Amino acid sequence: MRLGQNPAKSIQSVPQPAPVTIAVVTYIPFLSGYYAQSLEVLKTCLKSIWENTEPPYDLMVFDNASCQEVRAFLEQAHQEKRIQYLILADKNMGKGGAWNFIFQAAPGEYIAYADSDILFHPGWLSASLEILGAFPQVGMVTARPMRTPETFYNRTLEWARCQSEVTLENGIFIPWEVYRQHVLSLGTPEEQARQWYESRSDWRLTYRGVQALAGAAHFQFTLRKASIQPFLPFEMDRPMGQVRSLDEQINQAGLLRLTTCQPLVTHMGNQLVGDALSELRLGKSPRRRLVDAPFIRKPLLALYDAIFKLYHQ
Amino acid sequence: MRTGKNPAKNGLPAYTPQRIGVALITYIPFTEGYFEQSLEIFGYQLASLKATTTQPFDLLVFDNGSCHQVVSRLKELHDQKQIDWLILSRHNMGKAGAWNWIFASMPNELICYADSDVLFRPGWLEASLQVLEVFPQAGMVGAQPSFYDVMQGAGAAHLPLVETGDYQLGEYLPDKELVDEYCLGIGASDELAAQFHANPLPLIIHPASGVKAVLGASHMQFIIPRQVARRVVPLPATKGLLRAETMSLDYRIDELGYLHLSTTSSYVFHMGNTITEHLLRELTAVTASPPARSQTREPSSRKASPFQRWLALLAKRPRFQRILLRVYNLLFRALYTENSD
Repeated sequence: MRLGQNPAKSIQSVPQPAPVTIAVVTYIPFLSGYYAQSLEVLKTCLKSIWENTEPPYDLMVFDNASCQEVRAFLEQAHQEKRIQYLILADKNMGKGGAWNFIFQAAPGEYIAYADSDILFHPGWLSASLEILGAFPQVGMVTARPMRTPETFYNRTLEWARCQSEVTLENGIFIPWEVYRQHVLSLGTPEEQARQWYESRSDWRLTYRGVQALAGAAHFQFTLRKASIQPFLPFEMDRPMGQVRSLDEQINQAGLLRLTTCQPLVTHMGNQLVGDALSELRLGKSPRRRLVDAPFIRKPLLALYDAIFKLYHQ
Repeated sequence: MRTGKNPAKNGLPAYTPQRIGVALITYIPFTEGYFEQSLEIFGYQLASLKATTTQPFDLLVFDNGSCHQVVSRLKELHDQKQIDWLILSRHNMGKAGAWNWIFASMPNELICYADSDVLFRPGWLEASLQVLEVFPQAGMVGAQPSFYDVMQGAGAAHLPLVETGDYQLGEYLPDKELVDEYCLGIGASDELAAQFHANPLPLIIHPASGVKAVLGASHMQFIIPRQVARRVVPLPATKGLLRAETMSLDYRIDELGYLHLSTTSSYVFHMGNTITEHLLRELTAVTASPPARSQTREPSSRKASPFQRWLALLAKRPRFQRILLRVYNLLFRALYTENSD
């Protein structure tokens, strides 16, 4: 039975959500192999948010069934009031499932999403919000210039061509070093990166004094919460690999997909930059070439994947 | 930089939520005074929920800024896989604020909400689902007769239903024991209890099936279909627990043309903040009932071979796990790094 009055009834005001919710999804099932450095990467990611983001914002972390060490770190950060909302999932709901959750629950008017391997630089949020505020009907803004397939931003170009107030330019607006840094972070060899860079160009839009490049990426983006609601929920039944539907749907709906002109976030991947980068530059050793031979690599990969599946189960 | 391929991209199945999701809000800012027994009572709630829920369900707990001791207990329960989704908020966002999260984001088709001091009895889910089935216009279904008309006669969603001729309105005077128990749960004064005993409750009847439901639902516990839940948010949320804010849920549901209904029997019991002899007897009776079916479900419909099942069992043994991990690390270095030493 109830004895006395619930003190919660005397709480005259509760904190109101900040206008921006920064949402990060984590999934680090163990700290070995592919994920050996992932906790350090996650720590670097969150530290860069705390240090390089202008308040006010709320930080929401959705942990998609990570291992104990990762949860302990997140719980500690929540205890220290550096994470405002911590969501701990017992089972991996997939990136799409996590997106469904956070894009519907995030209380901010704007949601800035990031994978847990992104490094944020000063000014990333204000630059993203400036573009969101200046351009009409923006779907998503990534805080780094990148080259993505034109099929994912052709509606942005169509819009720009119809607007007398927009200056649309085609050329090389992403410096080689900026392009190279990102493409190499995805594990692409430098030769391949150079070839890609030289074969394509960029689209720059200038609207009412604000510049942006066409294209955006789903590893990091900022959007208005209201703009993504019509696309929810995403039908996603796998942990990863289906998130491109967001890019497609936003483009098909005629919403703009844009990036900042400056690199204000960096993709770290699963390793902090160091030896791994120099390995890419050096090229393949004899041992590497042997392991990469299809008749050796294929069975090794099958065994590698089988062990991960056992863990996943 | 990224080295190797993310194993999560291998086409493994993600978890598919159950049809039913249960959401509980906890707010225990300290463990003294009013809240002295609240954590223990929450434990009783979980025990009764597990013992009486006969269908698989996902459990979400939204902690609205409780004290360290409570948060630690919730984390333990999450680690023990008793809680599927644990949301920890640094601040109390108010009951309506927490509802905004729950109603906007829970992926389950049916969302069952309960305060953290509600005891579930056998049959609560079946009785609620029966009402939902017979009254497809139901927006909220409580598993205890609603004694308060929070909308004070302003509710209108049921009126078109009666005009169809498929439904009838009536009155219902619950048993004395049922009213007494309700009064005990909320700590009602004698005067208020007398009113509850004297005043019949409005009833809606579906003659074809014989199913009856009380018009009205309480905020203490109810099932809300996801499609309705998504349409009622965001609710105003500026206070810790303000009736006007929680009532906005009722008004929005009614405006959308959905009904507030509750069962004619009490399948849930308000425990409040005090452990009484009556509560302990109830708890014993509830948890002694047949155990609920397992909550767990295979993550995918793909069938594993006997060898795969044997391997999966083996993989749960710590020693074998260590061996697997060493092999995995060796393979990762061999496949993806230049120096495998």
